[in-house]
Amino acid sequence: MKRISILILIILSLISFSSQAENYQANSQLHEVQDTVLKKNEVDKSIKATSQETANSSINSAEKGVNRFISFTGFKNVTYSHIIMILVGLFFIFLAIKFDYEPLLLIPIGMGIIIGNIPFYQGEGINIQLGIYQQGSVMYYLYQGVVKGIYPPLIFLGIGAMTDFSSLISNPRLMLLGAAAQVGIFITFLGALYLGFNPAEAGSIGIIGGADGPTAIFLSSKLANGLHGTKNLIGPIAIAAYSYMALVPVIQPPIMKLLTSKKERLIRMKPPRSVSRFEKIMFPLIGLLLTGFISPSSLPLLGMLFFGNLLKESTVTKRLAETAKNSLIDIVTIILGLTVGASTQADVFLTSTSMLIFILGAISFMIATAGGVLFAKVMNLFLNKENKINPLVGAAGVSAVPDSARVVQTEGLKEDPTNHLLMHAMAPNVAGVIGSAVAAGILLSFLM
Amino acid sequence: MTLNILNIGFSNIGIEDIILVIIGYSIVFAALVALFYVFNFIPKIINVIVRNKLRRQGKHITENTDLSVTGEVNAAISTALFLYFNEIHDKESNVITIKRVSRRYSPWSSKIYGLRNFRKP
Repeated sequence: MKRISILILIILSLISFSSQAENYQANSQLHEVQDTVLKKNEVDKSIKATSQETANSSINSAEKGVNRFISFTGFKNVTYSHIIMILVGLFFIFLAIKFDYEPLLLIPIGMGIIIGNIPFYQGEGINIQLGIYQQGSVMYYLYQGVVKGIYPPLIFLGIGAMTDFSSLISNPRLMLLGAAAQVGIFITFLGALYLGFNPAEAGSIGIIGGADGPTAIFLSSKLANGLHGTKNLIGPIAIAAYSYMALVPVIQPPIMKLLTSKKERLIRMKPPRSVSRFEKIMFPLIGLLLTGFISPSSLPLLGMLFFGNLLKESTVTKRLAETAKNSLIDIVTIILGLTVGASTQADVFLTSTSMLIFILGAISFMIATAGGVLFAKVMNLFLNKENKINPLVGAAGVSAVPDSARVVQTEGLKEDPTNHLLMHAMAPNVAGVIGSAVAAGILLSFLM
Repeated sequence: MTLNILNIGFSNIGIEDIILVIIGYSIVFAALVALFYVFNFIPKIINVIVRNKLRRQGKHITENTDLSVTGEVNAAISTALFLYFNEIHDKESNVITIKRVSRRYSPWSSKIYGLRNFRKP
């Protein structure tokens, strides 16, 4: 019995122990679960905190991105000068479309001005390769053709292939009018010196009086390119030259009327004789040799001009002449106009210097026109009645081809509707191209 | 006469600048005067050469010294020639829109494949 009671006690104790152990296990499991839940809660909390942080940081970065975007937009960076330049660009386009003033030049230039003056972020030391003056941008590379003086000779090649020198060959004395009109270049050179420009800058400004855009760009790219202590005046000079070329029908007629009498404006000139093929072929060759030897610095321009003309007049290189006077000159004109326009970035262009250049350019044009007209009157003193020159033709001595010749024709027809002066005016007009290129060469060799 | 603020004045113009202007303008004139003389001279040389050539060939030399024809006359002649060669309308067929095809046969216009073929026994 004793044994049985002991056995029962052992069993009971075992049972109680096992239950206790179970309890303990359960308790420990409970603890584990509790721990896990707690841990999970903590993790959840930390995840929540992290996600909140992430959300905050992404909001911050988005905000930063938006702020950066806003700081990069034109609205944030716009200044009054940008708006003025954009209006100038729009005005150029308006002039070209409404009044047909040199649309082939003014539309690319006008569009270029707008492109160049869309404001963008420009921090110090930051190059986002957008602007024409920022190395690496597309416009920068296209502008190199202007800066290095590559485009003007190509334009001259096209002009040479387009130009018919027969009126000049048939009446060579009209060449002198082309020379006389270059007085505008040299007087303006002195004017620019007087206003405090250094000689290299003054030479570049003076060439505006040559009324020849490519020549003006060529010379300013060599003399006033921002190097050797000069200012970069390529943009203002090019814009001034092309603007005044477009405004020839506005600038020239009052001066022509002021300096001539009605009787002089009615002079009928002897019709030009026909010119043989031999003479036409000899002209570019002799012209190149003579002017090249006199002023070698003008070779890039005159070499290309006479080369283009030989392509045309030889009649055996028709394809090359066609390319030079159509596709090539069109391509270069597009790029040149656009980049020259874009180079007028407000911060570089809208300065008192540019205003002075515009004033000097206008004066230069007027002096050149007056020089041609007055020299024609002087020539008339020495010519017999048959060979008298209509002094209006002298105004075409500025080399804005063919606009100034067209102005002479229009003014002549106003006085006498049967007196056609166009062919006569073309002679000093193309002589003016040669004259201004020679003058550019001289200034280059003196001032470089 | 110098205004210091704007750096304006005749003192900016040196004697070398005046010399540049005189020489520069003279050179421009010289270049174009040289061209004037050359091209004033060339027609005379051409006339002499042509006359000598005609004399050697024993051809009669006309008294008319003015061998040139004016540009206006040339323009009239060339316009007439241009019109004659490029704008002749007399021989046109007057058929502008309809073009006759060279290959006339086509299954679309064939009599063999007409709709009436189905009715044949």
